Amino acid sequence: MSEEQYEWPWQYSFPPFFTLQPHAETRARQISVWRNLVLDYFRGTKQYTLDIREASRQSLFCNTAINRKLDTEFILAILSDLQRTQNAAPIDKQRHRWEIYWHTLEEWANMIYNYVSSSGATNSVLTLFELTQGDDVQSEEFCGLDTDVLIKVLRVLENERKCELMLFDDQQGVKFF
Amino acid sequence: MGIIFGKKKQVSRVTQQDKAILQLKQQRDKLKQYQKRIELSLTKDRELAKTLLNDGKKERAKLLLRKKRYQEQLLQKTDGQLENLERMAHDLEFAQIEIQVIDGLKHGNEALKKVNEVLNLEDIERILEETREGVEKQREIDALLSGALTEEDEEAVEAELQGIIEEALPQVPNEPVPVQEIEEPSLPEVPSSPVKEKAKEKRVREAVAMEA
Repeated sequence: MSEEQYEWPWQYSFPPFFTLQPHAETRARQISVWRNLVLDYFRGTKQYTLDIREASRQSLFCNTAINRKLDTEFILAILSDLQRTQNAAPIDKQRHRWEIYWHTLEEWANMIYNYVSSSGATNSVLTLFELTQGDDVQSEEFCGLDTDVLIKVLRVLENERKCELMLFDDQQGVKFF
Repeated sequence: MGIIFGKKKQVSRVTQQDKAILQLKQQRDKLKQYQKRIELSLTKDRELAKTLLNDGKKERAKLLLRKKRYQEQLLQKTDGQLENLERMAHDLEFAQIEIQVIDGLKHGNEALKKVNEVLNLEDIERILEETREGVEKQREIDALLSGALTEEDEEAVEAELQGIIEEALPQVPNEPVPVQEIEEPSLPEVPSSPVKEKAKEKRVREAVAMEA
């Protein structure tokens, strides 16, 4: 994990940034900065899931240098805002575990479909493993994509009749059209 | 069920062969992961053997190296299997493409047949025959129309044509033209001998050239 190399914005060392602001306008701006920070951080560290119960200990939400951290409520507010723009989605009903999409599912879907059609892999079967870990995709942005996220992305494509998922037993594959 | 939920599920476009290909590819992925694991363990073992040697535990280091050697052999074997799997998957995919090609040819053939049915030979013969008849009829009509003039009329036409031609030509005088005395034009004086000689020479040369 490249957490150490991650370059924090100046707000990260600004103590009030970690307290939910009472003034509505200020709060809106604060949340929007947090949104960007969360997405950028997840993109930079290539993470896809977040557990709120442990989030307060993550360096993203906890700056030990200035002894400030976000409380769960604040994190939930940020995540809800992300969910509004489809950049995050809760995995469980208690809204504890979240998936963070620094590209929305549609964006991922486009990216993957473009790759597949430009590499001439339409009309053939690919395993989910080779789509995210294979030697051919090492330079693609979706390399290392979380499998659960990938399946959701492929469902988007499936609704557009651009692919068909093949999930049976322990086999995970997809056929593009 | 389909009636209750309204929307009928679309027919899956995944064939049995696709499933087989998926299985092969899945197997290939597993082998690749296995290879990765072995490669990692190889480097780790090497490091470990080094430290053991440094600690003076030669026997254990040897054991470790033996294990490493064995794993290297495994790696080679998996390479062979990987190749087999890939070839199989490619063969399957190629066979599918061949089926598509044959399907395409079949459709093309059927379409061609249908087109040929429309264009049957008898029809063409009939059409050509009718065309020929039409042309003949037209010619007859033409002959009838232009042949409405009688023989006399034809003669009159000929005569008139002759008249026009004669008019158009210039009048030829009947009497012979008196020959006029034409004065000889004054020529320049002919120069004396040398030119003559030259002319003679020229003639000789010409003669030679002719001979050759």
